[in-house]
Amino acid sequence: MNNFRLLLGISLSSFIVLVAIFGPLFAPYDKDEVEPSGYYYNSADDFGVYAAPYPPSRQHPFGTDEWGYDILTLLLYGAKYTVFAGLVIAFFRVVLGSTLGVMAGLNRKNQRKDKGIGFGLLGSIPAFIIIYFALIGISINSSLKMSELIVLQVLLMIIVGFPGVYAAMQAKTIELNKRLFITASASLGASKLQIAVKHIFPHLKGTMLVMFLKEIVLSLSLLGQLGIFNLFLGGTILRLGGPPVYISVSREWTGLIGQWRAFIFDYQWILMFPMLSFLFVVFSFYMLLRGVELQQKSNLTKQPYI
Amino acid sequence: MQRIRTSLSFFIIVFFILMLAAIPLALNTTSGKLMIDFHVVSRLINTYISGIGTGDTFIYQEGIDRSPNFLQTVGRHFSLSFVYLLVAGLAAVIIGMIVASWYSRSKKEWSKDIIGFLGLIPDFIFILFLQLGVVWVYQSTGFHIARVASRGADEHALLLPLITLIIVPTIYLIRTLSEATAYVLTEDYILTAKAKGFSVFYIFMQHAVRNILPYLKADLHKVIAIMMSNLFIVEYLFNISGLTSLLFTKDGYQYNLTVNTLLTMVIMYVLLYWSIRLFIVILERIFSYE
Repeated sequence: MNNFRLLLGISLSSFIVLVAIFGPLFAPYDKDEVEPSGYYYNSADDFGVYAAPYPPSRQHPFGTDEWGYDILTLLLYGAKYTVFAGLVIAFFRVVLGSTLGVMAGLNRKNQRKDKGIGFGLLGSIPAFIIIYFALIGISINSSLKMSELIVLQVLLMIIVGFPGVYAAMQAKTIELNKRLFITASASLGASKLQIAVKHIFPHLKGTMLVMFLKEIVLSLSLLGQLGIFNLFLGGTILRLGGPPVYISVSREWTGLIGQWRAFIFDYQWILMFPMLSFLFVVFSFYMLLRGVELQQKSNLTKQPYI
Repeated sequence: MQRIRTSLSFFIIVFFILMLAAIPLALNTTSGKLMIDFHVVSRLINTYISGIGTGDTFIYQEGIDRSPNFLQTVGRHFSLSFVYLLVAGLAAVIIGMIVASWYSRSKKEWSKDIIGFLGLIPDFIFILFLQLGVVWVYQSTGFHIARVASRGADEHALLLPLITLIIVPTIYLIRTLSEATAYVLTEDYILTAKAKGFSVFYIFMQHAVRNILPYLKADLHKVIAIMMSNLFIVEYLFNISGLTSLLFTKDGYQYNLTVNTLLTMVIMYVLLYWSIRLFIVILERIFSYE
């Protein structure tokens, strides 16, 4: 079996999508069920208190968080936001970016060789900082509904992400446009739209699929970076009075990582299990990506001489 | 033409920063609806620009009763961030080129699997795993490898932030440069050199490296953009009081401070870009043999 990566990627990714859809049905507890704290007294020598967070056990496979919520349950309920946000953002980035990119590429003969420092200056302001500034005033203790905040954030993430796809697609189109079969079809009278539909898109299909898978992971990591700064998908609850506590409304996975990122010294399982789950998602889509890439790898590439 | 475009894009970025920093104060959701108040934006920009002459623009609030001048305090934050970035950038270029020249000739798919996967893991996952790992080693053996975060003014975390800052751009460079190297190695002058009986190392030193450097130059903006985005996460999670720490103060949102900091970030970007360009120029001189 040559392409086990593709097989592994397809099965893992469909497992994740299934978890995202049906996860809550298999959750061992209700979303808001709290494992109570208390004390026990068996004899004069055998007594004490028990309190959350509880480590992983038979009742709580992933343990509980600091308030006694079952972590596995939270993850199963939050999965749909993580997975579908990634899929939706990546899909629209690729569709928007490639449509505009192909259009721009067909209207231009040559790529600009030296872009100069001016073009690069925008790189000094990272994408997540732009979204951070847009959301910091409205996402924490918001008066907007969770669904509205999700739509808003997804839109913002599509907007900051599609120029990357656009640039890559434009470059590829310009290269394709120089090929003889395009020149031939243009001189036979094909319109730009016909060339795009008949020649350009069939060539770019594979690239678009690879890009879609890559953008899923990229948008998830953007979600996570925002989560580190307490901006969670679907809004943040801020509890003051004492040290500030930030809580993710939607229980989206990267939000949970951001919310629990301080658990590196004690009760590490609280941070560990969301991170491992997130890594599992990245790994699954990566395997799918590699499988698709290898599938497409053409035998026509030149071999290095040494 | 080039100069006009550069200065134009500089004005665009300044305007962009002035607008961007105003968004948190101009957006409001009080009525349950999302609204942008453009009067707030123009008022903020006006006070910022008119304050440059009097110096009010550079005064910001720290804690309850301190109001330091940005121009005096920024140097310390700037140099801290810049040193981290410069060390990491140079290390990434060197390691990236060395590993890429080996990696480009490897036909093993599993090594591509690993590098590709590492390249997709987000930086914050790296950092949290590094921190968890150090704590785990300490708790199980009592051996203290590195500081998990900076504490106070003189207990800097060095090892873990540098590892993170180096790894992320290095992996990107390995991927792009190894593609470039593999392409360069298909050129006819390599075949000629091989036919003359030169050793692989000699061909690399004489022919491959100098032809890979243009690809590195072309990718430099992307690399530095990755590092800048990385810097925010690294400084935040390791509690380093570099430039980005000025953006996330606990004293409430201050428009002027935010604009000043973001503008300084742009300056840092340019400085870093030209420092690494200078390094590449030196490499070009070394490998040109003229």
